[in-house]
Amino acid sequence: MTQQETSSVIAELADTLRDWLPEQRWFAGKDRPVHAVTAVRTVRLDGGDPQLVHAVVEVEQGEPKPDRYQLILGLRSDVPEHLGHAWVTALGDRVVYQAIHDPELTALLLDLLAEGAEVDGLSFGHEPGVDLDPTQRSRPIGAEQSNTSLVYGQSYILKLFRRLVPGTSADLELHRALAGVGCVHIAAPLGAIEGELDGEPVTLGMLTEFLPNTADGWAMATASVRDLLAEPGAYPDEVGGDFASEAHRLGHAVGTVHADLARALGSSEAGPGDLSTLATAMHARLDAAQQAVPELAHYEVALRAAFDEVRTVGGPVPMQRIHGDLHLGQVLRSVTGWVLIDFEGEPSAPLAERVAPASPLRDVGGMLRSFDYAAHHMLVGEVDPDQHATAALEWAGRNREAFCDGYAEVAGDPREQAVLLHAFELDKAVYEVVYEHAHRPGWLPIPLVAIARITGHGDTRHDR
Amino acid sequence: MSIYQRSESQRDLGAVPHTGEDVLPDGHLVEPQAGDFRHARAAPSDPEWFKRAVFYEVLVRAFRDDDGNGSGDLRGLTTRLDYLRWLGVDCLWLPPFYASPLRDGGYDISDFRAVLPEFGTVEDFVVLLDEAHRRGIRVITDLVMNHTSDQHPWFQESRRDPDGPYGDFYVWGDDDSAYPEARIIFVDAEVSNWTYDPVRGQFYWHRFFSHQPDLNFENPEVGEAMVDVLRFWLDLGIDGFRLDAVPYLFEQEGTNCENLPRTHEFLKRCRKVVDDEYPDRVLLAEANQWPADVVPYFGNSDVGGDECHMAFHFPLMPRIFMAVRRESRFPISEILAQTPRIPSGAQWGIFLRNHDELTLEMVTDDERDYMYAEYASDPRMKANLGIRRRLAPLLDNDRNQLELFTALLLSLPGSPMLYYGDEIGMGDNIWLGDRDSVRTPMQWTPDRNAGFSSCDPARIYLPVIMDPVYGYQSVNIEAQSNSTQSLLNWTRRMIHVRHEHPAFGLGTFAELGSSNPSVLAYLRRFETPGGDEPDVVVCVNNLSRFPQPVELDLSEHAGEVPVELTGRVRFPPVGELPYLLTLPGHGFYWFQITRDQEAP
Ligand SMILES: Nc1ncnc2c1ncn2[C@@H]1O[C@H](COP(=O)(O)OP(=O)(O)OP(=O)(O)O)[C@@H](O)[C@H]1O
Repeated sequence: MTQQETSSVIAELADTLRDWLPEQRWFAGKDRPVHAVTAVRTVRLDGGDPQLVHAVVEVEQGEPKPDRYQLILGLRSDVPEHLGHAWVTALGDRVVYQAIHDPELTALLLDLLAEGAEVDGLSFGHEPGVDLDPTQRSRPIGAEQSNTSLVYGQSYILKLFRRLVPGTSADLELHRALAGVGCVHIAAPLGAIEGELDGEPVTLGMLTEFLPNTADGWAMATASVRDLLAEPGAYPDEVGGDFASEAHRLGHAVGTVHADLARALGSSEAGPGDLSTLATAMHARLDAAQQAVPELAHYEVALRAAFDEVRTVGGPVPMQRIHGDLHLGQVLRSVTGWVLIDFEGEPSAPLAERVAPASPLRDVGGMLRSFDYAAHHMLVGEVDPDQHATAALEWAGRNREAFCDGYAEVAGDPREQAVLLHAFELDKAVYEVVYEHAHRPGWLPIPLVAIARITGHGDTRHDR
Repeated sequence: MSIYQRSESQRDLGAVPHTGEDVLPDGHLVEPQAGDFRHARAAPSDPEWFKRAVFYEVLVRAFRDDDGNGSGDLRGLTTRLDYLRWLGVDCLWLPPFYASPLRDGGYDISDFRAVLPEFGTVEDFVVLLDEAHRRGIRVITDLVMNHTSDQHPWFQESRRDPDGPYGDFYVWGDDDSAYPEARIIFVDAEVSNWTYDPVRGQFYWHRFFSHQPDLNFENPEVGEAMVDVLRFWLDLGIDGFRLDAVPYLFEQEGTNCENLPRTHEFLKRCRKVVDDEYPDRVLLAEANQWPADVVPYFGNSDVGGDECHMAFHFPLMPRIFMAVRRESRFPISEILAQTPRIPSGAQWGIFLRNHDELTLEMVTDDERDYMYAEYASDPRMKANLGIRRRLAPLLDNDRNQLELFTALLLSLPGSPMLYYGDEIGMGDNIWLGDRDSVRTPMQWTPDRNAGFSSCDPARIYLPVIMDPVYGYQSVNIEAQSNSTQSLLNWTRRMIHVRHEHPAFGLGTFAELGSSNPSVLAYLRRFETPGGDEPDVVVCVNNLSRFPQPVELDLSEHAGEVPVELTGRVRFPPVGELPYLLTLPGHGFYWFQITRDQEAP
């Protein structure tokens, strides 16, 4: 196939892709019909058979600005059995399939990264001083994720971003900045695939060190909760599965990452204007949430009061780059300690907002909410949830404290900024209410009860 | 005419050959020679035996009393070798059985060339060794090179006659000021590493108890004498030594006097003697330190190691206990990740329990608090920096956990060391002083004295365990060997499975990560020299008390078939996708990964 022919592949596939895209778990517009799929650019990365085609497509779904996605397709005249599940469609005498499942083709991506190649506007590069071993064989990871990650051997992990927005990805930017100051709580960035979109640079892929033998914070924390709930009447520090020392270490790691981010990219102090903007944004999110979930009305006065208090926070409030979407699922326990991943920020926010300086307490609030979730999610659907409610609350309280203790060892003690911290927690809980209402109504009590507790509507005795 | 005064423990040696029974004109003491005794037959030749071996620590005093005086002896142990062979033990480790005033459990040796009379004689030891070798079992013992008892004739001579041949055998000083940087190890018992000796009018140096003066390795004659001690026992046929307290042999001003280069030089010299003159014998270093600090005791890795063949891995053991209580693999994964590679000719020794307390020196303060809270609910269970309990009571006598722990011991990298009695789940007696709680008589039968001794029960060295759960009436070898379901028979089967797979002893170790933190999985792999199919074993352990699923990445073995090792059941073949297993609470699997599509 010539380069000319390559550029027409997407056009020929347009009809197929309209049906195929919504079936992909990384496709963000599942709730709307796909009207048209057109190629933004198509690059043939390797000729021959099989052939690797890189495409950026525009998906028309009736929005003013269509979404753009990255596709990595393979073309073969003969598809071996083990690639059967990657089949997309037939095109002439060849089969189009998802190249991420074909180690023969993904090896090429690693080759190009190792070489530092430029191919028709796609630039593959490795970080300075990094020497990649291109012989590692890849496999896609099985995780439910919004992008697609390939693990090469036990050495590298390549995240291919699916929905593209112009600009350097915050994930790549922060990984680079943190590596630059020697941060030990991240996977080392090793390389990137970059291109151009709307005349701006765009990050298509990020290669980092793969950390073998990790478990994520959610799995670790819930193992501990499970252990506690099996001992009726026990206090969390009395059972073997106590998580406090891990929570402490995790707090220390997050504090270190914050300090490193401030060191690498600077920090400033929030002015009264910033705080006011923050409060306004929280109110606005509550407005929208109340539309969707009328139950929130019950807490509205207390929530608004908590958000208003943000405007009057005294003393310096440091602002800096933060993780932006921190929870137990974004931290991995490796054999050397905790590592933070996925610095993309709040997924639904526009890039400009995601890269703006923010209070690190926002990350802390996210993590504290996550402890609360870990403690309570097992109670969902129980016949008598009250039976374990005390234990769950004690678990959350103990581990939230331990997390803050660890954090305070390296950065400021978050509990000293109670007004701000509570506001961030409530803001996050409001977001959770909307999410659970739409997706998992059974879980709705988790954020609702938390809001009641933090705002003093419910039993507050165990609140941290 | 000898002017030499025999010390108390020497006097007990009565008519048997012993050090100082005569004095040469130059003042040197006459010492027994290997040539004075019969030698044991050799064990079957096998240079790497210690890498595959299952070791069994047995206290001579606690195993079997042959002469009916209430205390176990070498002859008694000899009568139980058939049991040990049946169990599958490859090598016995005997804590010191030398002549000793027993102020430190026999680690205070008063004669390197005589046996503690209550245990028997050198001849009895040779018989034990010979009978063990006949059954393919090897025997190693402790040797303390760093110091002697103050009752040792060398010390008696050294203090009496500073100018005599032994005057320079110990570390003497006019004051107690030298080596101030050396820490005091037994902080509970000693205030200084120096003690004044009124006889000689000088201070002597001791890293341990004040009744254990350190030998002066700066004096070449001391090194020579110690090498001769090694030769004495090696000539009789012993298979090796556990070298006690190795880091402390030499002293040097301005250092903490641990792990000094000269100490390593001396160990290299001992190793050379073994390599040149006594093939197949091993040196096992006891250094209670972090793995990275212990690795130098294996010596130069370019030549496969030229100091000790083996060393104990101390920090692993408490972390196994911690991991299971936390239901998280990370305490184990972390310490294994921090363990450096060791030379090709070397092997770790790993253990769950031994005659000492479950030592918590190699954990952080936090972790120690945690271990005390989880495993030593009663303050009486603590001893020094550790927990003086046996395996079964530590695990609440929970059969599932006992099996899981034993399976870990038998499959993690290193040679496993079992502690006598743990194979039947013996209990402890925390009312006994110090570490005697875990040193009670072996429980053979439900008969009087647990079949350990025919003596009057009042004469027994320590009371047998009699409580309702662990008492000898219910927990004993006889009862358990008759039941196929017993812990004893289970342990035996596992040892035999281990023996069938060189991967356990000789193979590489690679952890198989998974997203489930409660599951510890690893792959052991041994490339058979003939280039045949490698021996690949996958071990999957559920550290949680709840059932767990796990997905393992075995894609490297796609198309191969896991065969469960205890029952030979074939599991579904490995495919491209992660391999899914479910494990019951505290359950584990050992699989052989075989290319053979047919039953192996
Ligand atoms: N460096 C790493 N080493 C090992 N595993 C990793 C590494 N980075 C990511 N992972 C695994 O890959 C998964 C997905 O990674 P990541 O969160 O970066 O992708 P994502 O597509 O942005 O996910 P999400 O949909 O959650 O936003 C993680 O949950 C983690 O299990």
